[in-house]
Amino acid sequence: MHMEAQKYLWEGAIPLQIHLHELEVTTLPPPPPALILAPRMGYLPLLSTLIKPYFSSALPPGVDTVWFEYKGLPLKWYIPTGVLFDLLCAEPERPWNLTVHFRGYPGNILIPCEGEDSVKWSFINSLKEAAYIINGNSKNVMNMSQSDQLELWNSVMSGNLEAYLRVSSKLKLGTVEDEYTIKMNLSTKSGQGTGETDMAGQVKTGRIPVRLYVWSVNEDFHDLEDAPKIDNWDKISFINRPAEIHTEEGKCFTLHDALKGLLPEFFSDLPLIGEESPKLEDEDKMKIPSEDASSNRSAEEGVENLCERMESSCTTTIAEIKLVRIQGIEPKLEIPFSWVVNNLMNPEHFLHICICIKVAAGNTI
Amino acid sequence: MATESPSSVRKVVVHFRATGGAPILKQAKFKISGADKFAKVIDFLCRHLGRETLFVYVNSAFSPNPDELVIDLYNNFGFDGKLIVNYACSMAWG
Repeated sequence: MHMEAQKYLWEGAIPLQIHLHELEVTTLPPPPPALILAPRMGYLPLLSTLIKPYFSSALPPGVDTVWFEYKGLPLKWYIPTGVLFDLLCAEPERPWNLTVHFRGYPGNILIPCEGEDSVKWSFINSLKEAAYIINGNSKNVMNMSQSDQLELWNSVMSGNLEAYLRVSSKLKLGTVEDEYTIKMNLSTKSGQGTGETDMAGQVKTGRIPVRLYVWSVNEDFHDLEDAPKIDNWDKISFINRPAEIHTEEGKCFTLHDALKGLLPEFFSDLPLIGEESPKLEDEDKMKIPSEDASSNRSAEEGVENLCERMESSCTTTIAEIKLVRIQGIEPKLEIPFSWVVNNLMNPEHFLHICICIKVAAGNTI
Repeated sequence: MATESPSSVRKVVVHFRATGGAPILKQAKFKISGADKFAKVIDFLCRHLGRETLFVYVNSAFSPNPDELVIDLYNNFGFDGKLIVNYACSMAWG
């Protein structure tokens, strides 16, 4: 079961219909759009070897720098293709109509991309960052041999889950403990290959690397088709906070619990101040302007007295979660978070979560 | 920014450290708004050192995504009240 979910994920792909931007078309008739299946775990620039030959005869003379656009929004190439789709297509569009450009790279919006090397660099750095969050250092990734690193990258490029598991198990980034995997281990130990049990054997709890894409909207909508369009990256808050798993006996730590910890400002069913537990200590050490510091402190001390005010301020900041999407799935918030982590994580060990939140009008925080 | 939590407007102390023979800054510590993206830190260094490209790392370990917020990086990787940012003219830590 455990492997099955991962296998589905790795086989997941988005049908793309790619149009060459009209200003870059020099032939009549213009080239028909290219139809390509893009792996969810992949990155758009990696498709350029497939796309270039398709459009090259229609292009004006010049140097090619490939970038993609969806309804006028230049697409960030270092975000996995599946995450871009989940985020930008509230109502999934199939095929997904993208526009490709070979000229006029929007350097003010996108960081430069020099093809596969840039994507690999970005991937390995994200992996190191994730390792740092999990282990407190990136040594396992940095000490990887060149050949292992290459094999890891190639496994991601080619969507080869078995090869990926074989190499990534050496990183000892482990999986998260949950009853589900424990049962799994018992049942697979006899039959399955060693690579897999090795990895499942390194059970870890603690901090989970998460990249959150929070899209807040003011107006309500009932149908995803009517959701406002994302035409500017400023409309997305890109938040990187590790999720911390707190297990209480007899209680399952759910996706909802994890989201509450990650985005306390949007979850009104618990006191906002109560959320600030372990981090505060570190933050206090910072040299912050004295007025900030004192207001922080008084807020903390006055928790009880402020209860009434807290309640009223809570009701004004009530935000409604319109959509939580992970790997194309809209999971129920009651599912165990450990399952989400162990099954829906991307190969660079980050869990990417797209969230659409409706914030009451006039209350943009 | 659509969802700024109060915590993200705090200032973060960034401690710059040259590595691999990169020029050293006269002043090594700067305060920067936590709501800024890491891209701003990279820009700042490039301007100060008069270079078009630099390799910029956190804790001698990894290059963060330029879109990441400075406050997130501080909360995740900072210690002793500051965020250590290393910079090099050529790739230092693959």
